Amino acid sequence: MFRLISRITRPGKKRHNNSTRPQERCKVAPSEEKRQVAAGLEQNKKIVHEVFDRCADLVVREFLIGRVNPVRAMAVFLDPLVNRDLMSEFLAHPLMEVDRVPPAGVTLDWLKERVVTAGSILEKRRWVEAGNGIAKGLVALFVDGQSRVILLDIPEVTSRAISQPISEQTLRGSADAFNEDRRTNLALLRKRLRSTRLAVENLELGTVTKNVVSIVYLKGYADGGLVDEVKTRLRRIEIDGILNSEQVTEFIQDSPYSLFSGVGTTERPDIIAANLLEGRVGLILGNTPYALFVPATLGVFMQTPDDYSNRYWYGSFIRLLRWAGLFIALLMPGFYIAVLSFHQEMVPTVLFTTIMADREGVPFPIFVEALIMELAFEMLREAGVRLPRPFGQTISIVGAIVIGQAAVSARLVSTGMVVVVALTAVASYTVATIPLASVVRLLRFIFMFAGSGFGLFGVTAAMSLLTFHLCALRSFGVPYLSPAAPLSPDILRDTLVRVPVWMMRRRPRFLNPKDPVRQPAGHKPHPPAGRISGRRRKKGGR
Amino acid sequence: MPEHGRISSVQLFLLLYITEISTTFLIIPGVLAKEAGTDSWLVSLVPVTVYGLAVALVCVSLAGRFPNQVFTEYLPRVAGRWPGKILAAAYIFFFVHVAAVILSQGANYIHTAFLRETPLLAIELLLLSVAVYGVYLGIEVIARQNTLVFALFMFSLLLLVTFVLEHFSFKNLLPVLENGMFPVLKASALIISWRGEVFFILMLYPYLNRKQEALRTASGVVVFSGISQSAITLVATGVFGAALLPNMVFSIHELVRYISIGFLERMEVFIVVIWVAGLIVKLAIFIHAASTAAAHTLGLKNYRWFIVPATLAALVLSETIFRTSLQQHEFFTGMGRYYASIFQLLLPGLLLFTAVIRKRRDRAGAEKT
Repeated sequence: MFRLISRITRPGKKRHNNSTRPQERCKVAPSEEKRQVAAGLEQNKKIVHEVFDRCADLVVREFLIGRVNPVRAMAVFLDPLVNRDLMSEFLAHPLMEVDRVPPAGVTLDWLKERVVTAGSILEKRRWVEAGNGIAKGLVALFVDGQSRVILLDIPEVTSRAISQPISEQTLRGSADAFNEDRRTNLALLRKRLRSTRLAVENLELGTVTKNVVSIVYLKGYADGGLVDEVKTRLRRIEIDGILNSEQVTEFIQDSPYSLFSGVGTTERPDIIAANLLEGRVGLILGNTPYALFVPATLGVFMQTPDDYSNRYWYGSFIRLLRWAGLFIALLMPGFYIAVLSFHQEMVPTVLFTTIMADREGVPFPIFVEALIMELAFEMLREAGVRLPRPFGQTISIVGAIVIGQAAVSARLVSTGMVVVVALTAVASYTVATIPLASVVRLLRFIFMFAGSGFGLFGVTAAMSLLTFHLCALRSFGVPYLSPAAPLSPDILRDTLVRVPVWMMRRRPRFLNPKDPVRQPAGHKPHPPAGRISGRRRKKGGR
Repeated sequence: MPEHGRISSVQLFLLLYITEISTTFLIIPGVLAKEAGTDSWLVSLVPVTVYGLAVALVCVSLAGRFPNQVFTEYLPRVAGRWPGKILAAAYIFFFVHVAAVILSQGANYIHTAFLRETPLLAIELLLLSVAVYGVYLGIEVIARQNTLVFALFMFSLLLLVTFVLEHFSFKNLLPVLENGMFPVLKASALIISWRGEVFFILMLYPYLNRKQEALRTASGVVVFSGISQSAITLVATGVFGAALLPNMVFSIHELVRYISIGFLERMEVFIVVIWVAGLIVKLAIFIHAASTAAAHTLGLKNYRWFIVPATLAALVLSETIFRTSLQQHEFFTGMGRYYASIFQLLLPGLLLFTAVIRKRRDRAGAEKT
């Protein structure tokens, strides 16, 4: 009991002091770890069959290198992960067509430098690394008499082609999105940031999944402490499997219990590139099209590329619309319940009589009505995700109309309630990113409860609670409500509205970027000075 | 001192401003109109500002002598061990008492005007639980939240004034200074206890980022709240006239009732909602001050232990101090108007005097040994 109280009253959050551990924790016995690649081929073959027993897709391909006194070699690989054609082109052909062997004999260096034509080659000494390499899809080349093994990267294409983003559609932006192959994702990013400043550091996550995460950032823009902190938190992860980016998020975020995510996620390389340019750090994983970026503030979850691909007036308008949508989605049902239950004097008389006439015969109080409708809508929404495509459209339209209409006719709910719920749903779809939209859907119910209990005071109290929570949240040290809560002029530049590009001269202050200036002054476009004919145009003047 | 949050000068300004304005803007015109009539707007502007500046000067000078310590921490050093502890206990009581008074006033108002069937205790618990959450999270969070509250507050105040202007008439403000300055000065005694809430800077000083700007910020708060109160009083007097105002306890409530934009009417709830947000911040500040003071006086490092006791004390007190609203009115307009100035000006003034004489001071940057 005392421990519970002292845990509640302890200041701030306790951080477990985990020292960084090496990520290669294979859960193998230490002697296994040190086992070297054997010199003899037969021995290696035995070990291969031992380690990969019951793997029917393992291929062991033996060659002879050289025509005179041929040396035996074998290539070991897992069939699904290796491209057979390329393998024969880079490995089998060159090896088997070797004419003359150098006087020193068949050495790995000679093979690496002269014979094997594959692009990426590693040389390893320990069996653990060889085994891991084979499991990851590399081709292991063992040569009789050599106690090291060459690993070649000849991957098979196993992911879908670059296609449109699934969840972040835009009207006027580029349409290539990340897919499940990390190399492709890095390519999409490098295409946009073609500078030597782009740093890529790799870490492996998960002892069984061995998912490689690439930490990307721009040298000289991102804060060094931030990069180190990201690496420390990633190295701390000790788990058997990381299957998607959400799991990584849950490990590295500042506040594990908060509803709000401190890590941004996106499918689009242009969003990652833009965030890197502002000084954030990105994480690109394999097997998931969702890349992460930190630190994330509330403003980040309200930005879409469409704001930037339209002119800034329209971009600002839709952004303000989105913020309004956020508040409507959060507060509308609660407001409706509160006003009709406690503050009826606020409603214009004509409207009030209509609404009350509408509610004639509805047996439930407004709060119960709202709850029924909202829950029904949430179920419809969730079901709509899972319906097979041929049925989906029809059932959702018909279902909505039938359920809505039938429920109103049966006097279970009033039409006013249907309107409110519909408006709320539409508004919640304007919230730009999925993490925030999900949070809004949950929090709506709390405001409904508060509104039904204490009217608008309850809604205000709940809103105060929410803002207290948000003010206390941090994402990698950056307060969640920057640039609003520690107030900074950036709020007018890129959070509430979107100013023209030539006005965005600095990177966001709250990210502590090393090089805060994005562009020098004087970029506002203007017609050429001098005569309009352009013949006597002044050089370089304002 | 366990953890120091960090507040910027702007955040401090907004914090002290909202702490004062959120409870005063509702009642000031009515309170002043009885004594000062048409000159009520002058009261907030001149005499009370002088008092406020005096408080600011005294408190910042005193706090500046002990830059890293909260008021109740250096109280025993200045006044002697046991007198200091007794004074600290008095201050703790003061914080809790005032919290109880504003809590009861606010809950009463909400209960009577809006939520008639909700028990008083429920309303008080609602307000307190939100405030307690804020105190638990720390002063930085309260300051950040306050920025948002301030934005909302200013926006709605401006809207209010804009929409009410059609009923405003200058004639209600004439004659000016009919009976000379004396009624103005007499009336100023009624509201000095709120302007003096700048004295919170004594408890907030160690958290400031740039302590050298403290005096500027504090004086700025005093002047700015004087201007805003004066403006509100001006508008209220201009709309209602000095004859009607003394009968209104919550004049701004009545003022908002005047607003009618097409179909939008009876918007009082919105104003009160904003006032509630400000009230929560004010309660949070008082309870934070009480908990911190209690923690230091009793020698404990973590102020969070005292949040619940302080809150419960405030809650219980709020139920028991005023039996009728007449008693409440008496408290504010009778001798109660000088109650707060003891803690805001008199005691810090005496302590400053003692500190100067006894040469008690912390060198800049030095920690208490």
